[in-house]
Amino acid sequence: MIEVRNLSYRYPDGKEALREISFTVAQGECVGLIGPNGAGKSTLLLHLNGILPEKLDGAVSVLGQPVSSENIDSIRRMVGLLFQDPDDQLFCPTVYEDVAFGPQQLGLSESLVPAALERVGLTGFEKRSPHHLSRGEKRRVCLAGVLACEPRVLVLDEPTTDLDPRGKRELKALLRDIPATKIIASHDLELVVELCPRVILLDRGEIVADGKTVELLNDEKLMLAHGLERPHILQHRHPHGFAEAPWVK
Amino acid sequence: MRHDFLDRHSRLDSPIHRLCADTKLVVALAIVSATVVMPISFVTYFVILGVVLAGIAVVSKIPVSFLAGRLLLLEPLALGVAVLALFQPGGWYVFATIVVKSTLCLFTMILLSNTTPFAELLGVLRRLRFPALLITTLALMYRYLFLLMDEAERMQRARASRTFTKRRFALWKVLGTVIGQLFVRSTERAERIYAAMCARGWK
Repeated sequence: MIEVRNLSYRYPDGKEALREISFTVAQGECVGLIGPNGAGKSTLLLHLNGILPEKLDGAVSVLGQPVSSENIDSIRRMVGLLFQDPDDQLFCPTVYEDVAFGPQQLGLSESLVPAALERVGLTGFEKRSPHHLSRGEKRRVCLAGVLACEPRVLVLDEPTTDLDPRGKRELKALLRDIPATKIIASHDLELVVELCPRVILLDRGEIVADGKTVELLNDEKLMLAHGLERPHILQHRHPHGFAEAPWVK
Repeated sequence: MRHDFLDRHSRLDSPIHRLCADTKLVVALAIVSATVVMPISFVTYFVILGVVLAGIAVVSKIPVSFLAGRLLLLEPLALGVAVLALFQPGGWYVFATIVVKSTLCLFTMILLSNTTPFAELLGVLRRLRFPALLITTLALMYRYLFLLMDEAERMQRARASRTFTKRRFALWKVLGTVIGQLFVRSTERAERIYAAMCARGWK
């Protein structure tokens, strides 16, 4: 479904962000993208939606379509991107207008807006100003704005940053219910373990490992070598395993 | 940190707040236009308008102190021009005209912006087919003005917590850095906002 072949990227200031990245993601898969700060996770995610680079060379393709300037519209229609900072993503004066922005631009029906707001549990927030929302609410409005575009691939950049435990729990439940293919970049390894059966470890712009989440994240040496830690959820296993994440035995 | 100095009282509940935004905008613009073209000798018009606006202010439940403060804040801009008129022959007449008209016009706009949420005003402009680019610019300005102020406030606090000198030169120097930083941060944010808009189909 998503194919990335030999993707390299250098920022305009000369800093190399990605080096020879290759991987594929199958339809319906949920893949975690982990790695230390500055590993290139966000940069990689921006490529999946054709935001970067300025010159598209077809190294990334989604559902058989190469990400290029000709079909950038249909790529953006298929791939929904949730940004790291909700304040960057919420640019309209009211919640309703923000969620309706995507459907309006893509020529979809505005009836998707109430449904998207209901899905994230924010019915009744339509007239509120994004500036007056809590961090968790902002995050949910962002997600509603992405869901309203009905994407087939959901790309999330640090979705649980700044969320309190309840906010995290609700977001996890919400994401679990979304059938789209998902790629989640996060430092929240508990979230990755619970949602993603497969994980890609990125460091200094290169893929260091790609495999089963439990196996990779249990490898303490590998984790420490790349600025990460073995998550507690794997250190103290529940005797009955995880109902929501059967891959954690 | 919550800033809402543009339309602080626009979400109160009063008969004026409940009026539809279209009516309020049209009436406000009509009042401003009529006031600007009306000769100052039509004293009755100005007196009646003053009474009507005061009545609206009372009904709308906006605190008088807030309205007076806002007027005092904005009036100096008009007064600056008016004072210059005093230096020419017959300047008192021009001075009085500018002061009376600008006060009434400003009062009208203050009442409008504090009885109608900004988003609704933008909605009216959109329905009146104002250029989309202008409306988007206004909407983005309204959305990020507060964020910028929050950011400035946070930086100011962080600076204050590590400032141990009272020398004026040093303080000015730091202020320069803060302003520069704010500019760089805003530019970077603008790039990220544009990316987020593109991601949802903006063309």
